[in-house]
Amino acid sequence: MNNPQHIIPLNVIQLVSAYALILLSLGLARLQRIGHEKQLLWSSMRMLFQLIAVGYLLHLLFAINSPLPVVLMLLTMAGFSLQIAGSRIKKRMPNFYRVVGSSIIIGCGGVTFYFCLLVVGYSPWFDPRYLIPLAGMIFGNAMNGASLAAERLSSEMHERREEIECALSLGATSRQSAGEAIRNAYSAALRPTINTMAATGIVALPGMMTGQILSGTEPIIAVRYQIAILCAITGAVAVTSFLIVQQGYRRFFTDAHQLKRE
Amino acid sequence: MNQPQKSGNDPIVEFTDVGVTKLSPAGTSMVILDQISFTARQGEITGIIGASGSGKSTLIRLCNRLDDPSAGTIKLNGQNIATIDPLVLRRKVAMVLQKPFMFEGTLLENLQRPFLFRKLAPPSAESLEIARVLDLVQLPAEMLKRDARSLSGGEQQRVNLARALVNHPEVLLLDEPTSALDRPSTARLASTLNTICHSEHLAIMVVTHDLYLAEHIVNHLIYLEEGRIMEQGVGTQMLAIPQTTAFSNFLAKPEREQKSSS
Repeated sequence: MNNPQHIIPLNVIQLVSAYALILLSLGLARLQRIGHEKQLLWSSMRMLFQLIAVGYLLHLLFAINSPLPVVLMLLTMAGFSLQIAGSRIKKRMPNFYRVVGSSIIIGCGGVTFYFCLLVVGYSPWFDPRYLIPLAGMIFGNAMNGASLAAERLSSEMHERREEIECALSLGATSRQSAGEAIRNAYSAALRPTINTMAATGIVALPGMMTGQILSGTEPIIAVRYQIAILCAITGAVAVTSFLIVQQGYRRFFTDAHQLKRE
Repeated sequence: MNQPQKSGNDPIVEFTDVGVTKLSPAGTSMVILDQISFTARQGEITGIIGASGSGKSTLIRLCNRLDDPSAGTIKLNGQNIATIDPLVLRRKVAMVLQKPFMFEGTLLENLQRPFLFRKLAPPSAESLEIARVLDLVQLPAEMLKRDARSLSGGEQQRVNLARALVNHPEVLLLDEPTSALDRPSTARLASTLNTICHSEHLAIMVVTHDLYLAEHIVNHLIYLEEGRIMEQGVGTQMLAIPQTTAFSNFLAKPEREQKSSS
């Protein structure tokens, strides 16, 4: 699907020219006195070094073309997903890392396996040119869903304590008493993905598709890939968030259907 | 001073040397309740009175296993409640929480909730079941279609009571039922509780800071201080001639200082 002869390889001067836009952003930030200039500069530097490092790492992985380094890379990505999801949340649910970690591994791992091997169907299964970018997109988006599901579930369980205890007192099970909290958390986790699907192609052209088009891929083929990956992302967010809320709500209760004290 | 009450009615709830210990945020052990022993009987109202932090609310939450004790035994009809399925127990031991919580929907839908929790067909507005509880709490049937959250505080407290009674409980627990009510509403509630206790032959246990309830409807009164029973006996006798300095001092304090939710 690649036609490298169509790509203009960006050289250092072109990249420096692109960075002029960061300097412009810095100037505007200073003009508005928002006080985020250092953060903007630091983030742009992080982006530069992180992407260059990933570029060389991918180059190395492509050259080695062996399953073990690819799997290690995927596990590292899953670990970072979990760490970032955890750092974003102020009030974590009990056993946060166990709940979210297992959900990301099962949800994203399962969807990635299904999508790469059965939908796209490339060979060998570990081909880093396919597996790493596709898994990266699936993990990255599922991480956002995971953060939203976990954070919303914690806040709903906190805010609805009276409602939950009232239901428990009337003979409800833990699941029945937390039903509204579970529904709201799951809905919050899915909402951005639903919005993205609805807006794709109208409000914004997705990064994967534009990247493929820039690389010379026929737009019709690029669009097919984009449709397929959006389906995979939706599936990963849905499964991961579902596992989080289903496992997560139980952590707020004892086996005797008692709400644990905060 | 512990004086087990003498009464001809059958014992239904029996506390024997019950204690609750919890870990403080600092990690130290805190005694919430210590060596609590008393008996609540059918057809009688047991009042639990005490200052803020005395452990009243914790005590009542043990009866339907919203919390579990750290020591001692609680029996319902001679059976240790730790061996009873909490969902079954909470149908026999209903609880009205301090703040009347109304589920979204009409008054009728609120009364139907306990049936839905048990996966039973909910009774209709015309059913004898609904008529029975409305009659007990003196709410007109015309109110059934009203949005439960639009009702006044006193009306919501009655709905709360009616909802707890639809399961035909043997014991009714009330946690500070008059905390949000004015004096006329408190008097009406007191009269309602008295009627329910005798017509349904229930054991009622009521946590209160309100001496009005203690004076007018409580048969057996328990005075708690710092998690221990300092005095217990026939309510009217205890209020007329306190036997302990602790209870005398409590009665001597202005009522506003006794308002609490421990």
